[in-house]
Amino acid sequence: MKNFEHINAESFEAATRGLTSYKNARPIAGGTDLVGALKEKILPDYPEAVINLKTIPGAAYIHDEGDEITVGALTKLRDVEEADAFKGELKAVAEAAHSVATPIVRNAATIGGNLCQDVRCWYYRYPDSVGGRLVCARKGGDQCYAVQGRNQYHSIMGGMKAGKTPCTLECPAGTDIPAYMEKIRENDWDGAAEIIMEANPMPMLTSRVCPHTCQSACNQCAYGDSVSIHSVERALGDYILDHAQQFYQAPSETTGKKAAIVGGGPAGLTAAYYLRKAGHQVTVYEKMEEAGGVLMYGIPEYRLPKHYVRDLVKALAGMGILFKTSTEIGKDLSLEQVKEANDTVFLDTGAWKQPILGFDGENLTQFGLNFLVEVKQFMSRQIGREVLVCGGGNVAMDVALTAVRLGAQKVKLVCLEQREDMPASAEEIARAQEEGVEIFNGWGLKQVLTDGDGKVTGLKSVKCVSVIDKDGHFNPVYSDETQVFDSDCIILATGQKVDTDFLGDKYKEELKNAKGLIQVGEHKDTRAPGIYAGGDAASGPSVAIKAIRDGGIAARSMSRYMGFPLEERTRKKGFLKFDPEKVGITAACTEKDTPAGLRSLEREDSDSLTAQEAKEEAGRCMNCGCYSVNASDMANVMVALDAVVKTTAHEFRAEEFFGNMDAAGILEPGELVTAIAIPKFAGYRTGYLKMRLREAIDFAVTALAYAYKEENGVITDARLVAGGIAPIPVRLTEAEKMMIGKEKSKELAEAAFAQAMKDAVPMRENSYKLQELKTQLVRSLEL
Amino acid sequence: MSRDLTLNINGETYEFTIGRKLGQIPESETLLETLRERIGLTGSKMSCGQGACGCCAVLMDGKAVASCITLTAECEGKEIITIEGLGDPVTGELDPIQEAFLEHNAFQCGFCTPGIIIAVKSLLNGNPNPSEDEIKEALSGNYCRCISHYQVIEAVKSVLEGGKTA
Repeated sequence: MKNFEHINAESFEAATRGLTSYKNARPIAGGTDLVGALKEKILPDYPEAVINLKTIPGAAYIHDEGDEITVGALTKLRDVEEADAFKGELKAVAEAAHSVATPIVRNAATIGGNLCQDVRCWYYRYPDSVGGRLVCARKGGDQCYAVQGRNQYHSIMGGMKAGKTPCTLECPAGTDIPAYMEKIRENDWDGAAEIIMEANPMPMLTSRVCPHTCQSACNQCAYGDSVSIHSVERALGDYILDHAQQFYQAPSETTGKKAAIVGGGPAGLTAAYYLRKAGHQVTVYEKMEEAGGVLMYGIPEYRLPKHYVRDLVKALAGMGILFKTSTEIGKDLSLEQVKEANDTVFLDTGAWKQPILGFDGENLTQFGLNFLVEVKQFMSRQIGREVLVCGGGNVAMDVALTAVRLGAQKVKLVCLEQREDMPASAEEIARAQEEGVEIFNGWGLKQVLTDGDGKVTGLKSVKCVSVIDKDGHFNPVYSDETQVFDSDCIILATGQKVDTDFLGDKYKEELKNAKGLIQVGEHKDTRAPGIYAGGDAASGPSVAIKAIRDGGIAARSMSRYMGFPLEERTRKKGFLKFDPEKVGITAACTEKDTPAGLRSLEREDSDSLTAQEAKEEAGRCMNCGCYSVNASDMANVMVALDAVVKTTAHEFRAEEFFGNMDAAGILEPGELVTAIAIPKFAGYRTGYLKMRLREAIDFAVTALAYAYKEENGVITDARLVAGGIAPIPVRLTEAEKMMIGKEKSKELAEAAFAQAMKDAVPMRENSYKLQELKTQLVRSLEL
Repeated sequence: MSRDLTLNINGETYEFTIGRKLGQIPESETLLETLRERIGLTGSKMSCGQGACGCCAVLMDGKAVASCITLTAECEGKEIITIEGLGDPVTGELDPIQEAFLEHNAFQCGFCTPGIIIAVKSLLNGNPNPSEDEIKEALSGNYCRCISHYQVIEAVKSVLEGGKTA
């Protein structure tokens, strides 16, 4: 065993001090759980110190306090099982203690340690010495191996979140993807819409343009295709837009506060949506003819048909958001005027300016973003015969594909990055290549070549050997090698710049930073009180979903500033569920692409999934979390007997304490369980049933803690808690309700079981647990 | 930082210090390692290393515990008895339980036998006249791969019948 510091605690206070004085220290009581875990190094963090609680005087006791029995946390399970206090009505306590492990273990193990013990899942416990430990979701890793692996000893009620899932973490807006997938599996599209719109009010747009890096983080990648998240999102987004009146409703109450949005891009529209929803009066100022920003003007029709943007803006206007289009702040109105007329202002003016790279002949090139905005004019003009696009991002891909579809004979693309480092998404690159775009990686711009008449004939390029320096900064290094690319039309898609001229003299110096962006803090607040900013104007060119996150954060900050803090939504608690059959499907269902030859500039390249297809694809989502079962037998009994868990800082009802998968989920750093108080349950018949393969050492396959009050064979009160069926002890409330007031019988127990287990979702190999629990329920009646 | 550690094993007193220097007992050392590798008491066996099989059982204050998951640093002031300490140190006479195991051939390879005998001793310390079910339950944490269980139960019962409980 790897070494650690060892401290004998003289009191609980000293133990807490000891625990918090290290970065990673663990308390040790009986040690029967901890020492094994340390030997096998099952946890990624090995403790620097172990604090011994056994040396705390007077921490092991069983006291009769009149109406309750208190048990010191350091009391050995052997003493609990033999105590007179647990021989009568509280025999469930003794039976549960007796059921733990083996007599040898119970001579050392303590009740406090049992209540706080770590999960026994075989993936979690996989020893480090045999090929390395498994860093599952429970240990801060990504996935639960039981979902696709062996799961006969796992949960039949579903799992629990063990932190944020990798897809959610990957999404700039933090969308709870598995949660809306679950709703779609349940065919609850309204519920799914509600969840996605908490993070993103325009999924019908993002699903079409987002690089959806969430998919690269999807745990299904380990087994086959990632879940086609964007396809499901797109179907959901279409559903939302089809029911726009339902999802974009005017607020029922208004606050009388005014917010202005300068620039109707994704960040601005998002902020407008959340602010209006909160009841504020919202005006969007947009310099173009139509709102939507880059989504309206910078993304080609074939990727994002404009009617979706228009329909969204219409829906937002339907909420009572005022749109003042063709109104340029800094020209038609000053920012001061806007600020004066409103309580808060959000700036989302984007990044639309051409950067000056400074190479010879740059003035002879075209700016990619302008090219996309003006594509309609281009259509009536002749595009060059040999188009050369410069840049490796999605804008460059859009420009190249648009050029192809405008009828250019040859489209080439050069960029600094090597293929695997190109910022464009893999799908966009593949699509460009499929339609004949030739990509040359590792070339920088040197000089535009012209003929005698000044007409463009090509680009002299210089070999780029590295793009990012060792500090991670953009700092291209070139060699002497050059190459000429023939072209009569060079389009630069090498980034866009932020134009802050609109801020005017008053605000320019105050709001701008050294990078030429609007300086914002973590709440999207600028240096001017009441003025907020987000999107590309604050962070430089990036993706729409990031702008959407900015808009959401800004809306919350602005509403708070105006005196109306938005409440964080708390989702109904329940176990995570997945489809045991469909998670095994390795191929994703994605949109059907139009064949390359038939694609055009006017029509979307693909059709959305049908609702049924989207539901099937959502079935592949593993709803990542922890699907283990609770290990502690004593915990089941404590919940059934409504015990109180006393700690160095709090007193918790057992149901609350064990509502967490780990004690650490509810305890503060260094907080320790000191005692358990168990009400006496006078007049009740209590007990503990445990099913396992081998009578000693094995953990419960299923367990049932029960407390019945009966009069002449009629149940007048019941408390039932099942263990081994979910990550936490499960109170069988439905079964209790059904039994109370009825005469006890086998039929009653079976009916109560069916009622309690109606939400059960056994995994592939563990539906047998239902039978076990049913039997235990019948036996608990002692008929 | 060193600290003193006094161990009481089979009636003998052993003085150690806990620390990282040569000859000191590191904090993470288990009682089984100390018994076998420092004191030479190799009767307690290392098997599963997780407290599940009972081969490493020793008596701590009269009760059987798994020495493989017990930290030596936490044994200060405890009275520890191993299989070697059951017999009479002067006459060499075995404990009646040991005699009964010999008499009933209650072992085959014998690897798990010290742990089983310790568990029996622990049982009889608290319950001098256990029923057969109680014997089985008390030994449920001792695994034997040679199936000596039948003879073990006979041996334990013979100790009770002979009235020679320790």
